[in-house]
Amino acid sequence: MSFVIATTIAEAVAAMASGARPIAGGTDLVVGARHGKAALPQHLVAIDRIEALLVVHDTADGVTIGSGVSHSVLESHPLLASAYSGLADASALVGSPSTRNLGTIGGNIMNASPAMDTGAPLLVLGAQVELQSMRGSRRVPLSELWTGPGRTSAAPDELCVMVHIPTPLVRSGSAYLRLEYRRAMEIAVVGAAACVVLDEDGFVVSASVALTAVAPTIIMVDGLHSLAGANVPEAAVRVGVLAAGQATPISDVRASAQYRRHTVGVMARRAVEAAARRAAGDIVAIPLNRAIGIGAAS
Amino acid sequence: MTATTTAITTSPPRFVRADGPDKVTGSGRYTADLSLTGVLAAKFRYANIGHARIVRLDVTAARAMPGVFAVLTADDVPDVRFGPFVQDRTLFARDVVRFEGEIVAAVAAVNAVVAQRAVDAIVVEYEPLPVINDIEAALSVESALVHPDWQSYGAADALVRDRNDASFASITKGDVGAGMAAADHIIESRYVADGCHAVPIEPRAVVAQWEGNKVTIWTTTQVPFDARAGVCETLQLPTNRVRIIVPHLGGGFGGKCGFHYEAHIAALARVAKRPVRLVFTRREEFIAPDRRRESIVFNIETGVLDDGTITARRAWLAMDNGAYTADAAFFSQLAAMHTAGPYRIPNVQVEAHLVYTNHQPSGSVRAPTAPQACWALESHTDEVAAAVGIDPVEFRRRNAVDTGAVGPSGQTYGEIGLQQCIDLAAGGAGYGQPLPDDEAIGVAIGWWPSFSVPSGAYIKIDGDGAGQIITGAQECGTGSVMTLRDLAADELGMKPEDFELVYQDTAVAPYDMGATGSQTLLNNGRAVIAAAGQVAEQLKKLAADHLEAAEADIVLADGHAYVAGTPATTVSLVELAGIAAGGQLLIGHGSSTPAEAPPLAGSSCVGDLGMAAFVAPQFSCHAVRVKLDRDTGVARVLHVSAAHDSGIIINPIGAHGQVEGAVMMGIGQALSEGTTYDDQARQRNAALLEYKLQTCADAPPILVQFVEIFTPDAGPRGAKGLAEAPNIATAAAISNALAKLIGRPVRQLPMTAERVWNTIQGDAS
Ligand SMILES: Cc1cc2nc3c(=O)[nH]c(=O)nc-3n(C[C@H](O)[C@H](O)[C@H](O)COP(=O)(O)OP(=O)(O)OC[C@H]3O[C@@H](n4cnc5c(N)ncnc54)[C@H](O)[C@@H]3O)c2cc1C
Repeated sequence: MSFVIATTIAEAVAAMASGARPIAGGTDLVVGARHGKAALPQHLVAIDRIEALLVVHDTADGVTIGSGVSHSVLESHPLLASAYSGLADASALVGSPSTRNLGTIGGNIMNASPAMDTGAPLLVLGAQVELQSMRGSRRVPLSELWTGPGRTSAAPDELCVMVHIPTPLVRSGSAYLRLEYRRAMEIAVVGAAACVVLDEDGFVVSASVALTAVAPTIIMVDGLHSLAGANVPEAAVRVGVLAAGQATPISDVRASAQYRRHTVGVMARRAVEAAARRAAGDIVAIPLNRAIGIGAAS
Repeated sequence: MTATTTAITTSPPRFVRADGPDKVTGSGRYTADLSLTGVLAAKFRYANIGHARIVRLDVTAARAMPGVFAVLTADDVPDVRFGPFVQDRTLFARDVVRFEGEIVAAVAAVNAVVAQRAVDAIVVEYEPLPVINDIEAALSVESALVHPDWQSYGAADALVRDRNDASFASITKGDVGAGMAAADHIIESRYVADGCHAVPIEPRAVVAQWEGNKVTIWTTTQVPFDARAGVCETLQLPTNRVRIIVPHLGGGFGGKCGFHYEAHIAALARVAKRPVRLVFTRREEFIAPDRRRESIVFNIETGVLDDGTITARRAWLAMDNGAYTADAAFFSQLAAMHTAGPYRIPNVQVEAHLVYTNHQPSGSVRAPTAPQACWALESHTDEVAAAVGIDPVEFRRRNAVDTGAVGPSGQTYGEIGLQQCIDLAAGGAGYGQPLPDDEAIGVAIGWWPSFSVPSGAYIKIDGDGAGQIITGAQECGTGSVMTLRDLAADELGMKPEDFELVYQDTAVAPYDMGATGSQTLLNNGRAVIAAAGQVAEQLKKLAADHLEAAEADIVLADGHAYVAGTPATTVSLVELAGIAAGGQLLIGHGSSTPAEAPPLAGSSCVGDLGMAAFVAPQFSCHAVRVKLDRDTGVARVLHVSAAHDSGIIINPIGAHGQVEGAVMMGIGQALSEGTTYDDQARQRNAALLEYKLQTCADAPPILVQFVEIFTPDAGPRGAKGLAEAPNIATAAAISNALAKLIGRPVRQLPMTAERVWNTIQGDAS
């Protein structure tokens, strides 16, 4: 058993090269170990004190978010809240205030749970992760990262250092919401994110939609190019039908497959509606769940 | 009568809890915090299987492990069957295990890791037996028996038992057949409530240490004297060699009533010759204790005239007893009362069965049986009101009991405030005003008895004038023990801060039933007032001597004794205490005398355990505004208006807290809290992520109002109980709001989003 506290990326990847697993907030790793999901790794490298991973940079071609940035920073960051609202919607829902203070975007992504909240908005926003190891660094689109529940295409020695999200198109908006049975300490029963681009008349130019907790990984909804030119209400309804059709949910103690299939369609429809409102310049409060009342009308 | 309409927004009167600073600063010590020299860690080996015969149990390897000090099984403790009503239980499984959380063996080792390894090294082989997983199927004559030898068990005389039916009760009044025949409409309903849990935030812990032949046990119990009785019975010890001490208790809600693991840990400590500590994990807290809220199946039928007069009610219910009969034996009669309900019905026939299954045993959780029965009955009542086209609130005004009315068991009520509760709750909710089409207000009424039982306390005032209240009462968080200081202070003309409380220690204080049955203030409050009265007499006598006045003229106030009419002739109580310290000491003792059960007329009760006559009954009405997302079935409670007749309110801030907390518990029961089982009778959601409590973020505004009526048989100054009553009507009111929004009731509790959605889809399963 070894525990190293890294203060630079170089130290962290060196430790990982010799077999250490990274630990950021520990809200998946430690809590999972306590619940007997998987034993704590023998060798750990703490990455939460690496300042280079704590940045949020507004760049020429988008935003770069350090993997160590916490959900509480993400939910309240003015740039993210305005231009990447779907991500802020998701981070604002995670656990409780203390979970959001500790839990990081890198941990959420690399933990690769099909019920993770930031996954669907990051997918629809076209995000890429930057992975670094002693062998160098590479960028991987999120659509190629998750390979199954808890599994990624990253090698064990690769540290997720950055998340890159391209600048949104003009007249675009994004939104994420999930079905939840209570307002805190919850996990998505199902969820959906949408990114919608509108033309000057308010018709849909393009839409992308991703679904949470209805397949072994977060999935994108296929066949949305046909939405070009549709009006928003019609597009939202069609997305809802496609989402329900493409979901392959399981039945478990939280919900039946049938109920998940139905509600993911509702979430997808509402995500499209909210993303379109934001694309049109409306202010829809973050998180969307509280604004429109899923498990939370107020 | 006065109706106090103190909403929680108004600033409540100041009340400093004696245990408050310790709890909020973290200086308070809970059982799991205790450390003793050489203390060992205990772990249990559970059955982890619903029903099986033990064909092999071998602890040799576990005993041989380094660091292991004791491994116990049924062979290592006295062969005693115990149980408050039916002696169907043993400390460790003998031959057969009957639920997943049954203890097969216990280990004490140097630390928890070694103890767990030893537990895992115990070899147990089982031969599976048929798993009895369904209450109704268990009642059929073909069902296998959970206890084939049930007839040989000792049991309370009043119990009516048969096969898997551990306790049958019925309430019969009038002629229900004739009442039904006279009705214009007969409405029949079926409702099914899942079991749920108390979920105290502190998982239980026990520490035991022997000195010679005496054992001290620090434990997380709500009922120290009950825990002591259990240890004495199972380990065959006299009461004066077992001392139970409860450090601060981190909540109970009934889940920590009864006798639990104190004897196991004491037995381990005796063999290990070291102190032993048990600290539960959350999972153990869910599966093992014999205190969880029972699942109930209800079939209810009501006959009603076109004008809304109820002519008859018939009901059949079956409750999940689980594998052993903890204190649940009286639930049959209590649930029957709650299914009959606080209504004026001339003809009543209710039958209730408490049924053995291979589930975790049921036991008292905050107002046992009442929230489920109220949910079923009050949902049914709205169906009845709808059948005759009468507004549900108006329907209740016409049929609910009132002062001088006769209830379902033939009890005639004195002055009661149920009708006022209905008016206050509905009014506070804005009932009748227009609402958006996805919102509705549901209303439900409930009732609950006060438990009048023996209880004792001492008071002493030492030479410096400092007071101590030494009470057997147990504080489980409600604040009722904390309120005792105010009662003593008032009697003696002193300040609450002049008293320290010595409590939760069976070796120093007289008997009390514990934090159960909403009885603490009701009974121990009277004992404290009686004890303070004795000290007051002693002080007055001293003052009379000192001031050369007649004893009868002495008044105690503001820390002084003075002569009535001449306030200048005065002496401080501190000075009197100093005088007493050199002569006759200031010591008082008090014991509350239980009130007699009110008479019942014109009814007959089978399986009578005294639950059909309600001493100082409490009444309530909750009106709840709910918003429904029809696309998903997700419901949200927007506002709760709660009105209670719990007699005179002694501590308003504590009373508000009880209602608010109980309402939140009720919202959880209504919408999200329910245990589900796999086909082997194992709980599927024994964890806080999957067993969904409500959180602070879910809490709606809660308006709390009290109808204060003096009741002769109540507690001090006319106070009835209040810890359980507010937990009764919330789920029912939510159900009625949902039924309005959907057009039909959701027939399963909890009314989860998926069940609501299924009901919207027209599947009433
Ligand atoms: C009470 C509670 C509530 C929760 N609620 C939610 C919720 O609502 N929604 C949700 O999505 N999640 C939720 N979670 C899960 C968790 O909080 C989030 O997934 C969080 O973002 C994980 O981040 P972390 O930094 O704590 O990850 P850690 O636990 O530190 O790590 C998780 C995994 O990722 C790996 N890892 C971490 N950082 C990196 C990196 N930079 N590069 C490579 N691998 C890395 C670790 O080795 C580990 O395998 C909840 C957890 C708890 C305890």
